[in-house]
Amino acid sequence: MTYILQTYQLTKSYGGNDVVSGVDMHVKAGEIYGFLGPNGAGKTTIMKMITNLIKPTSGEIELFGNKLTATSVEVLKRMGTIIEYPVFYDRLTAKENLALHCEYMGYYDKKAIEQALELVKLHNVGEKKVKDFSLGMKQRLGIARAISTKPELLVLDEPINGLDPVGIKDLRELFKLLSRDFGVTLIVSSHILAEMEQMADTIGIIQDGKLVKEVAMKSISGEQTEYIEVHVQNVKRAVYVLEEKLKARNYKIFDENIIRIYDGKLTQSELTKVFVIENIEIDSINKKHSSLEEYFINTMKEKEIQLLET
Amino acid sequence: MFKLMKLEYKKHKLFGYFPVVIMCIAATFAVVALMGWGSRNEIEPMFPDFQSFMSLADIFIRTVFLIFSSVILAKIVIEEFRTGTIQLLFTYPVQRKQLMKAKLIVVFAFCFFSIVLATLITYLLAYLISPHLFLFEAPLEWNDIMLIFPATLINALMTAGVSLIPLFFGMKKKSAAATITWAVIIGILINGTISNGSEAVSLFQFIWIPLALGLLGLAIAYQSYRHIDKRDVA
Repeated sequence: MTYILQTYQLTKSYGGNDVVSGVDMHVKAGEIYGFLGPNGAGKTTIMKMITNLIKPTSGEIELFGNKLTATSVEVLKRMGTIIEYPVFYDRLTAKENLALHCEYMGYYDKKAIEQALELVKLHNVGEKKVKDFSLGMKQRLGIARAISTKPELLVLDEPINGLDPVGIKDLRELFKLLSRDFGVTLIVSSHILAEMEQMADTIGIIQDGKLVKEVAMKSISGEQTEYIEVHVQNVKRAVYVLEEKLKARNYKIFDENIIRIYDGKLTQSELTKVFVIENIEIDSINKKHSSLEEYFINTMKEKEIQLLET
Repeated sequence: MFKLMKLEYKKHKLFGYFPVVIMCIAATFAVVALMGWGSRNEIEPMFPDFQSFMSLADIFIRTVFLIFSSVILAKIVIEEFRTGTIQLLFTYPVQRKQLMKAKLIVVFAFCFFSIVLATLITYLLAYLISPHLFLFEAPLEWNDIMLIFPATLINALMTAGVSLIPLFFGMKKKSAAATITWAVIIGILINGTISNGSEAVSLFQFIWIPLALGLLGLAIAYQSYRHIDKRDVA
């Protein structure tokens, strides 16, 4: 397995406080790596360290197989980045901003700018000054700028911030296209789980500056269990019926009147039928599968318990 | 390096300042020339000769372009730090030191060349106008100009060094206003003249003061990028 980016015990502290501590990240070539964590967890700090904007207090970063040092700059040629929010020279037009970017990056393909603008659907406003752009447009222009030089690695910090649902969907498609068809590796951070779930191949969950877990989405989908959730009036009777009549052992009781049945063999209609016969009032019945959200929250809780125990 | 300077020039649309530079030169010349012309009927005219005419013009030129340079400095250095575009610049495959040097050289070069240009234009205008219109008493010979030209270059060099001093104050608070204010203060301080009626003196006349300040400016510039590779860009 070739890793494009690896970090070893990456730590950053300000005034003795660890903002990021002991992070070991592994990003495979060509995948979309979702960086997930609440606000202030240290996502931006890590991304700034990857792009060499801030220097680690300790630990190492390895990019494209080479160690990143304070004066590494050549490696930046192979990367496209958005950190925090995209900044532009407001008085220049969108195209001028991109042209300037290409010059600094040492990339001279005249068509690249047009192509990049087209990919983010901004080709109509290329001649407009950036100061007249909305937040969402700036965000898209930032992505256009990052991809204009055809980088091998894209580091995008909260790229879907400020976008409308259609814009988010377009971007998701674009990211997938870049990853699948052009082999670009993407590191995308977000605090929105559902988004990550839909595009990431691997997810790194970060909390309080620590990388709590790094999992392939495929393996989570395997772990994801389907279950039937029923709201009933009388939980005790329902449980009795479940155990005695339906021989179901794998269930959990939530709140006062919610039961989740994880028994795969039991179908919704079967359950309804038996409950009706046994005269158990059902308020609602649903088939559900536990999403990334639950996985995420569970992982966080586990970590907190671990921390309490130690 | 030259390419980086050209990009700065392009990025900040510095060519837009060219007409302003010309206007400043015209205005300074007009002010000094009017003083001379206005005193033509007095018993003692304002300027006995070309040298004294130029000494006042020089003071104005130095002060004006020192302040003008601070505007450029604020725009291409301070503002980039304030708005965060410096973060973008530092994600480019160019050494940070080179980027900073390019910016500071642009400011230095602007100050130097604008002062030289302003002085040359003033010479030329004085040379062309003084035979027809009263500016100063003694007639102007081409030789007079050649005589003071080397001093012009040295003055411009020292002032260009001084023009980097406001960087120190501007970077502290990342404030364009502070940068320009300090340029005004420094400009007035070293070019301002104290007179007791018969003799006038300004700090700029003691050669070591502008020289020391010029070197101080260069030192401040050097200090600003010396450790920039190791610094975090917030």
